[in-house]
Amino acid sequence: MSEENWIEVGSTDSIEEEDLIRFDHQDKTFCVYKLTDGFYATDGICTHEAVHLEDGLVMDDEIECPMHQGIFNIKSGEALSPPACEDLKTYPVKVDNDKIFIKID
Amino acid sequence: MKNNIIILGGGQAGIYAAREIRQIDSKSNIKILGEENLLPYERPPLSKDFFLDKKKEEDLYFHSSDVLKNENIEFENISINKVDFENKKLFAKNDNVYSYDSLLISTGSENKKITLDNNLKNDIYYLRNLEEAKKIKEIVSNKNKITIIGGGFIGLEIASSLSQLQKKVIVIEIGSQLMGRIIPKQIADLVQKTHIEHGNEIILNKQIEKITKKNSDYEILLNDNSLIETDFIIAGIGSTPTVKLFENTNLKLDNGIVTNQFCETSIKDVYAAGDVSNFYHPFYERNMRLESYQHAQNHGICAGKNIAGVKTEYSSIPWMWSDQFNLNLQLTGICDEYDEIIERGNDINNGVIYFFLKNNKIRGACGVGVIGKVGRDIRITSKLSEKNTIVDKQILSDQNLKLNKLMQK
Ligand SMILES: Cc1cc2nc3c(=O)[nH]c(=O)nc-3n(C[C@H](O)[C@H](O)[C@H](O)COP(=O)(O)OP(=O)(O)OC[C@H]3O[C@@H](n4cnc5c(N)ncnc54)[C@H](O)[C@@H]3O)c2cc1C
Ligand code: FES
Repeated sequence: MSEENWIEVGSTDSIEEEDLIRFDHQDKTFCVYKLTDGFYATDGICTHEAVHLEDGLVMDDEIECPMHQGIFNIKSGEALSPPACEDLKTYPVKVDNDKIFIKID
Repeated sequence: MKNNIIILGGGQAGIYAAREIRQIDSKSNIKILGEENLLPYERPPLSKDFFLDKKKEEDLYFHSSDVLKNENIEFENISINKVDFENKKLFAKNDNVYSYDSLLISTGSENKKITLDNNLKNDIYYLRNLEEAKKIKEIVSNKNKITIIGGGFIGLEIASSLSQLQKKVIVIEIGSQLMGRIIPKQIADLVQKTHIEHGNEIILNKQIEKITKKNSDYEILLNDNSLIETDFIIAGIGSTPTVKLFENTNLKLDNGIVTNQFCETSIKDVYAAGDVSNFYHPFYERNMRLESYQHAQNHGICAGKNIAGVKTEYSSIPWMWSDQFNLNLQLTGICDEYDEIIERGNDINNGVIYFFLKNNKIRGACGVGVIGKVGRDIRITSKLSEKNTIVDKQILSDQNLKLNKLMQK
């Protein structure tokens, strides 16, 4: 993949630990998370119904949807608890000079 | 040891129990007996996205037939009409007999019916299953003015869906507020306001005296002598546990099947889970019966563990939701045992939550807000309640302060 696919999200201190920020790029929404072992990114909309996960609760490696408590693993995107059953797409993240980048395909 | 395990009732609790048993016990026969000729499916969308065509029938099933086949779980479409607990047998109308070593009863709940003296029984529609949802959906496509009797969750969700299909909707509620007294009046009023803003008419404190059929339409007479003309009537006036089958047996019944914290009933090797069970909750030290998605799932899983021999106590903090228009309402814990109420927020766009506290600990909370706005706080509330955390009321009441601050203490 070419370098251009890395999109700058913001600075590393824009996210608190065990929290997330929403990042909109073109017509898509992403969630970027800071977990104890680094930064991660997923699609920003729940796969169950079209709800923004930015309002969800981050616990350990999981994001819980604020609407019906569907749970996804942030690192793998795996849907862990109904009513969510379709996995969440994940994206590679890198940090360069205190800035977070995500790779969007 | 190989056992015959029968699950009576092929709904949410039943299927989760079956799969949990299979995870622990690869040998026993597991058979689900369900009177609906459908694999277990989700009911919440029936009053919401199914009406709006955002979800189709195939989206509702919990698992495909392949999953059941792979896990060697049998599903049989049959209605059981007699039980013999002494000889561990179930009887179907067609004379089929089923013997069990362990039985899980997960027959769910059924809608209360309106009692009217005239013969309009078949003219009033109810919503509990997919068949009814399909029928209502088909008929309302040719109707315009729809009356919903009962302003509870299901009635209001149908009212929201039909309004989004451009129908004129009237909701008649006997009580002085929507959704019963368990919901704080302020929250019921916010929900009511949203319905009215979308064109729905809400009539409170009124009882139905008489319904008369006029050609293909109906006239509803209320107890203040006002008349409502309507061309379709749906009733959602609450539900009762499906226990008729057990009424003349030794099984202990009291607002459902009485179970302990291990999903065990008064009869050995007979368990109950989901809407049908009035279970002992060790955290609240009392019995309760819940009709909620999350409970049906978790209670089914817990029953499955116990049936498979892994003794497991059920102590999940209750939680349920209702979606109406662009609002998401959530309820956690119990909201009828408190010595103090604390309010968080007052704008539905940012979410409004009422916390019910006893001895400075959260017993329950109810919140409503534009989609996404109360879920995280309600979830944190469940955790604080579960951990018996003494809460800082300043943080609870100030929406600018994050609730997870309370968790880190
Ligand atoms: C329209 C609607 C909307 C809802 N929305 C929400 C919501 O938004 N949020 C929420 O938290 N909860 C909601 N619920 C509640 C939730 O769906 C139920 O609590 C849940 O389905 C209960 O699961 P259960 O397995 O106990 O019973 P059910 O899913 O009802 O399954 C019981 C099954 O047993 C079968 N059965 C009964 N008797 C017999 C017999 N004698 N022989 C064979 N089979 C039998 C029944 O036909 C049924 O298929 C909603 C319910 C309805 C009806
Ligand atoms: S919208 Fe996320 S779980 Fe339903």
